[in-house]
Amino acid sequence: MGNCFKRSTTDDISLLRGTDSVRETSSDPVGPPSYQEALSVQSTPPLYHPSPSVTRSVTQLTEEEQIKIAKRIGLIQHLPTGKYDGCKKIRECVICMGEFMVGDALRYLPCMHTYHVTCIDDWLMRSLTCPSCMEPVDAALLTSYETN
Amino acid sequence: MAALPRRIIKETQRLMQEPVPGISAVPDESNARYFHVIVTGPEDSPFEGGLFKLELFLPEDYPMSAPKVRFITKIYHPNIDRLGRICLDILKEKWSPALQIRTVLLSIQALLSAPNPDDPLANDVAELWKENESEAIRNAKEWTRRYAMDN
Repeated sequence: MGNCFKRSTTDDISLLRGTDSVRETSSDPVGPPSYQEALSVQSTPPLYHPSPSVTRSVTQLTEEEQIKIAKRIGLIQHLPTGKYDGCKKIRECVICMGEFMVGDALRYLPCMHTYHVTCIDDWLMRSLTCPSCMEPVDAALLTSYETN
Repeated sequence: MAALPRRIIKETQRLMQEPVPGISAVPDESNARYFHVIVTGPEDSPFEGGLFKLELFLPEDYPMSAPKVRFITKIYHPNIDRLGRICLDILKEKWSPALQIRTVLLSIQALLSAPNPDDPLANDVAELWKENESEAIRNAKEWTRRYAMDN
Protein backbone atom coordinates (compact mmCIF):
# COMPACT_ATOMS: atom_id res chain seq x y z
CA MET A 1 0.00 0.00 0.00
CA GLY A 2 2.80 2.41 0.83
CA ASN A 3 3.14 4.61 -2.17
CA CYS A 4 4.76 7.41 -0.25
CA PHE A 5 7.90 7.19 -2.32
CA LYS A 6 6.10 7.51 -5.59
CA ARG A 7 4.27 10.56 -4.35
CA SER A 8 7.24 12.45 -3.10
CA THR A 9 9.05 11.78 -6.36
CA THR A 10 6.24 13.19 -8.46
CA ASP A 11 6.11 16.16 -6.14
CA ASP A 12 9.80 16.82 -6.66
CA ILE A 13 9.43 16.57 -10.41
CA SER A 14 6.51 18.93 -10.53
CA LEU A 15 8.41 21.42 -8.41
CA LEU A 16 11.37 21.23 -10.75
CA ARG A 17 9.15 21.57 -13.78
CA GLY A 18 7.53 24.54 -12.17
CA THR A 19 10.80 26.42 -12.14
CA ASP A 20 11.70 25.12 -15.60
CA SER A 21 8.48 26.33 -17.10
CA VAL A 22 9.08 29.75 -15.65
CA ARG A 23 12.49 30.08 -17.20
CA GLU A 24 12.13 28.22 -20.45
CA THR A 25 8.56 27.61 -21.49
CA SER A 26 6.73 30.45 -19.84
CA SER A 27 4.74 30.98 -23.03
CA ASP A 28 3.43 27.40 -22.93
CA PRO A 29 -0.09 27.65 -21.52
CA VAL A 30 -0.32 23.92 -20.74
CA GLY A 31 2.87 23.85 -18.69
CA PRO A 32 2.42 22.63 -15.12
CA PRO A 33 2.48 24.92 -12.03
CA SER A 34 2.39 28.42 -13.30
CA TYR A 35 4.63 31.31 -12.49
CA GLN A 36 1.72 33.09 -10.82
CA GLU A 37 1.21 30.21 -8.42
CA ALA A 38 4.88 30.22 -7.51
CA LEU A 39 4.65 33.96 -6.93
CA SER A 40 1.56 33.83 -4.75
CA VAL A 41 3.11 31.06 -2.64
CA GLN A 42 6.06 33.31 -2.02
CA SER A 43 4.18 36.49 -1.30
CA THR A 44 1.65 35.11 1.22
CA PRO A 45 3.03 33.05 4.11
CA PRO A 46 1.26 29.69 4.43
CA LEU A 47 -1.69 29.40 6.81
CA TYR A 48 -1.92 26.71 9.47
CA HIS A 49 -4.69 25.52 11.77
CA PRO A 50 -3.46 24.46 15.23
CA SER A 51 -7.10 23.52 15.84
CA PRO A 52 -9.93 23.39 13.29
CA SER A 53 -11.34 26.81 14.07
CA VAL A 54 -8.02 28.60 14.49
CA THR A 55 -6.22 29.94 11.44
CA ARG A 56 -2.79 31.49 11.75
CA SER A 57 -0.06 32.57 9.44
CA VAL A 58 3.13 30.55 9.85
CA THR A 59 4.81 33.62 11.30
CA GLN A 60 2.22 33.91 14.08
CA LEU A 61 2.44 30.37 15.43
CA THR A 62 3.65 29.87 18.98
CA GLU A 63 6.49 27.44 19.47
CA GLU A 64 4.07 24.93 20.95
CA GLU A 65 1.80 25.18 17.92
CA GLN A 66 4.77 24.80 15.58
CA ILE A 67 5.74 21.55 17.30
CA LYS A 68 2.15 20.32 17.16
CA ILE A 69 1.97 21.00 13.43
CA ALA A 70 5.39 19.50 12.74
CA LYS A 71 4.30 16.30 14.52
CA ARG A 72 1.10 16.28 12.51
CA ILE A 73 2.97 16.59 9.23
CA GLY A 74 5.25 13.73 10.28
CA LEU A 75 2.35 11.53 11.23
CA ILE A 76 0.36 12.20 8.07
CA GLN A 77 3.33 11.04 6.02
CA HIS A 78 3.13 7.64 7.73
CA LEU A 79 -0.42 7.05 6.54
CA PRO A 80 -0.52 4.83 3.45
CA THR A 81 -1.54 6.23 0.08
CA GLY A 82 -2.52 4.59 -3.16
CA LYS A 83 -4.37 5.08 -6.40
CA TYR A 84 -8.04 4.34 -6.94
CA ASP A 85 -8.35 1.15 -8.96
CA GLY A 86 -12.09 1.23 -9.59
CA CYS A 87 -12.92 -0.88 -6.52
CA LYS A 88 -16.69 -0.85 -6.05
CA LYS A 89 -16.62 -0.86 -2.26
CA ILE A 90 -15.62 2.77 -2.03
CA ARG A 91 -17.11 5.22 -4.48
CA GLU A 92 -17.20 8.71 -3.09
CA CYS A 93 -14.94 10.98 -1.08
CA VAL A 94 -17.24 12.29 1.66
CA ILE A 95 -15.15 15.44 1.98
CA CYS A 96 -15.48 16.79 -1.57
CA MET A 97 -18.49 14.56 -2.35
CA GLY A 98 -16.82 13.71 -5.64
CA GLU A 99 -16.83 10.18 -7.03
CA PHE A 100 -13.46 8.48 -7.06
CA MET A 101 -12.02 8.22 -10.57
CA VAL A 102 -9.54 5.55 -11.53
CA GLY A 103 -6.08 6.89 -10.82
CA ASP A 104 -7.14 9.37 -8.12
CA ALA A 105 -4.61 9.62 -5.27
CA LEU A 106 -6.18 8.18 -2.11
CA ARG A 107 -5.14 8.04 1.52
CA TYR A 108 -6.16 5.19 3.81
CA LEU A 109 -6.67 5.90 7.51
CA PRO A 110 -6.07 3.19 10.14
CA CYS A 111 -9.85 2.81 10.56
CA MET A 112 -9.91 1.96 6.82
CA HIS A 113 -11.87 5.03 5.81
CA THR A 114 -10.54 6.34 2.52
CA TYR A 115 -10.40 9.84 1.06
CA HIS A 116 -8.66 11.83 -1.64
CA VAL A 117 -5.17 12.66 -0.42
CA THR A 118 -5.66 16.39 -0.91
CA CYS A 119 -9.06 16.37 0.82
CA ILE A 120 -8.04 14.40 3.91
CA ASP A 121 -4.64 16.05 4.31
CA ASP A 122 -6.34 19.42 4.44
CA TRP A 123 -8.46 18.12 7.34
CA LEU A 124 -5.70 16.19 9.14
CA MET A 125 -3.64 19.36 9.23
CA ARG A 126 -6.44 20.77 11.41
CA SER A 127 -7.44 17.71 13.39
CA LEU A 128 -5.98 14.21 13.55
CA THR A 129 -9.35 12.47 13.50
CA CYS A 130 -11.20 10.48 10.90
CA PRO A 131 -14.07 12.66 9.60
CA SER A 132 -16.35 9.62 9.25
CA CYS A 133 -15.84 7.74 12.52
CA MET A 134 -14.06 10.40 14.61
CA GLU A 135 -11.39 7.90 15.57
CA PRO A 136 -8.18 9.69 16.59
CA VAL A 137 -5.73 8.86 13.83
CA ASP A 138 -2.58 9.03 15.96
CA ALA A 139 -3.80 6.57 18.59
CA ALA A 140 -5.06 4.18 15.91
CA LEU A 141 -1.75 4.36 14.07
CA LEU A 142 0.16 3.45 17.24
CA THR A 143 -2.16 0.51 17.91
CA SER A 144 -1.74 -0.76 14.37
CA TYR A 145 2.04 -0.68 14.82
CA GLU A 146 1.81 -2.57 18.11
CA THR A 147 -0.44 -5.30 16.77
CA ASN A 148 1.55 -5.85 13.57
CA MET B 1 -15.28 35.40 -5.44
CA ALA B 2 -13.86 31.98 -6.20
CA ALA B 3 -16.00 29.42 -8.04
CA LEU B 4 -18.45 27.47 -5.93
CA PRO B 5 -16.93 24.14 -4.85
CA ARG B 6 -18.54 21.07 -6.38
CA ARG B 7 -19.51 19.87 -2.92
CA ILE B 8 -21.68 22.93 -2.25
CA ILE B 9 -23.39 22.54 -5.63
CA LYS B 10 -24.02 18.87 -4.93
CA GLU B 11 -25.34 19.44 -1.42
CA THR B 12 -27.67 22.17 -2.66
CA GLN B 13 -29.03 19.92 -5.43
CA ARG B 14 -29.62 17.06 -3.01
CA LEU B 15 -31.34 19.37 -0.53
CA MET B 16 -33.71 20.45 -3.29
CA GLN B 17 -34.30 16.95 -4.68
CA GLU B 18 -34.67 15.10 -1.38
CA PRO B 19 -35.63 17.68 1.22
CA VAL B 20 -35.45 16.75 4.89
CA PRO B 21 -38.95 16.36 6.40
CA GLY B 22 -39.80 19.46 8.39
CA ILE B 23 -36.85 21.45 7.11
CA SER B 24 -36.48 23.74 4.13
CA ALA B 25 -33.17 25.26 3.09
CA VAL B 26 -33.03 27.53 0.06
CA PRO B 27 -29.88 29.25 -1.19
CA ASP B 28 -30.03 33.03 -1.48
CA GLU B 29 -30.42 34.30 -5.03
CA SER B 30 -27.35 36.48 -4.84
CA ASN B 31 -25.14 34.33 -2.60
CA ALA B 32 -25.04 30.56 -3.03
CA ARG B 33 -23.25 30.17 0.31
CA TYR B 34 -26.10 31.78 2.24
CA PHE B 35 -29.20 29.68 2.94
CA HIS B 36 -32.63 30.75 4.13
CA VAL B 37 -33.77 27.97 6.43
CA ILE B 38 -37.12 27.13 7.98
CA VAL B 39 -37.35 24.42 10.64
CA THR B 40 -40.74 23.26 11.87
CA GLY B 41 -41.02 22.75 15.61
CA PRO B 42 -40.90 18.99 16.33
CA GLU B 43 -44.06 17.19 17.46
CA ASP B 44 -44.44 16.69 21.21
CA SER B 45 -42.04 19.57 21.91
CA PRO B 46 -42.99 23.01 23.22
CA PHE B 47 -42.07 24.30 19.76
CA GLU B 48 -44.68 22.19 17.95
CA GLY B 49 -46.67 24.18 15.42
CA GLY B 50 -44.00 26.85 15.10
CA LEU B 51 -42.05 27.77 11.99
CA PHE B 52 -38.55 28.88 12.92
CA LYS B 53 -36.47 30.92 10.51
CA LEU B 54 -32.72 30.46 10.56
CA GLU B 55 -29.82 31.66 8.47
CA LEU B 56 -26.99 29.35 7.47
CA PHE B 57 -23.73 30.48 5.94
CA LEU B 58 -21.01 28.28 4.47
CA PRO B 59 -17.65 29.93 5.22
CA GLU B 60 -14.85 30.15 2.68
CA ASP B 61 -13.13 26.99 3.91
CA TYR B 62 -16.29 24.88 4.23
CA PRO B 63 -16.32 21.88 4.69
CA MET B 64 -13.05 22.21 6.61
CA SER B 65 -14.89 24.47 9.02
CA ALA B 66 -18.50 24.27 10.15
CA PRO B 67 -21.41 26.23 8.68
CA LYS B 68 -22.44 29.27 10.67
CA VAL B 69 -26.05 28.94 11.75
CA ARG B 70 -28.30 31.30 13.70
CA PHE B 71 -31.98 31.42 14.62
CA ILE B 72 -33.66 34.52 13.28
CA THR B 73 -37.02 33.74 14.90
CA LYS B 74 -37.00 34.37 18.65
CA ILE B 75 -37.05 31.10 20.57
CA TYR B 76 -37.16 30.19 24.26
CA HIS B 77 -34.56 27.44 24.53
CA PRO B 78 -31.69 26.88 27.01
CA ASN B 79 -29.14 26.25 24.23
CA ILE B 80 -30.08 29.20 22.04
CA ASP B 81 -29.35 32.74 23.18
CA ARG B 82 -31.25 35.96 22.52
CA LEU B 83 -29.18 36.63 19.41
CA GLY B 84 -30.18 33.25 18.03
CA ARG B 85 -26.75 31.72 18.47
CA ILE B 86 -26.85 27.98 18.98
CA CYS B 87 -24.81 25.94 21.46
CA LEU B 88 -24.26 22.69 19.60
CA ASP B 89 -21.03 20.68 19.69
CA ILE B 90 -21.02 19.77 15.99
CA LEU B 91 -21.03 23.46 15.10
CA LYS B 92 -17.89 23.92 17.19
CA GLU B 93 -15.34 21.39 18.39
CA LYS B 94 -17.14 18.31 17.09
CA TRP B 95 -17.38 19.51 13.51
CA SER B 96 -16.21 17.06 10.86
CA PRO B 97 -16.15 17.51 7.08
CA ALA B 98 -18.20 14.32 6.80
CA LEU B 99 -21.13 16.28 8.21
CA GLN B 100 -23.35 18.25 5.86
CA ILE B 101 -25.92 21.05 5.80
CA ARG B 102 -28.54 18.29 6.05
CA THR B 103 -27.03 16.68 9.15
CA VAL B 104 -26.48 20.03 10.83
CA LEU B 105 -30.13 21.02 10.36
CA LEU B 106 -31.31 17.62 11.59
CA SER B 107 -29.19 18.08 14.72
CA ILE B 108 -30.71 21.50 15.30
CA GLN B 109 -34.19 20.01 14.94
CA ALA B 110 -33.22 17.30 17.42
CA LEU B 111 -31.97 19.99 19.82
CA LEU B 112 -35.48 21.45 19.81
CA SER B 113 -36.85 18.07 20.88
CA ALA B 114 -34.21 17.60 23.54
CA PRO B 115 -33.13 20.85 25.23
CA ASN B 116 -30.00 20.42 27.32
CA PRO B 117 -30.08 22.89 30.26
CA ASP B 118 -26.82 21.46 31.64
CA ASP B 119 -24.89 22.98 28.74
CA PRO B 120 -26.61 26.34 28.55
CA LEU B 121 -26.11 29.30 26.29
CA ALA B 122 -29.08 31.25 27.60
CA ASN B 123 -28.45 31.08 31.34
CA ASP B 124 -31.74 32.47 32.61
CA VAL B 125 -33.67 30.08 30.41
CA ALA B 126 -31.50 27.13 31.47
CA GLU B 127 -31.94 27.95 35.15
CA LEU B 128 -35.68 28.02 34.92
CA TRP B 129 -35.61 24.88 32.79
CA LYS B 130 -33.80 23.08 35.60
CA GLU B 131 -35.70 24.57 38.53
CA ASN B 132 -39.21 24.66 37.16
CA GLU B 133 -39.46 22.71 33.94
CA SER B 134 -43.21 23.07 33.52
CA GLU B 135 -43.00 26.87 33.73
CA ALA B 136 -40.09 26.89 31.26
CA ILE B 137 -42.08 24.74 28.85
CA ARG B 138 -45.04 27.10 29.25
CA ASN B 139 -42.77 30.02 28.32
CA ALA B 140 -41.40 28.13 25.34
CA LYS B 141 -44.93 27.42 24.11
CA GLU B 142 -45.91 31.04 24.62
CA TRP B 143 -42.87 32.29 22.66
CA THR B 144 -43.59 29.76 19.92
CA ARG B 145 -47.14 31.07 19.65
CA ARG B 146 -46.05 34.69 19.77
CA TYR B 147 -43.04 34.64 17.45
CA ALA B 148 -43.16 31.46 15.36
CA MET B 149 -46.77 31.27 14.22
CA ASP B 150 -48.74 33.16 11.57
CA ASN B 151 -45.89 35.18 10.15
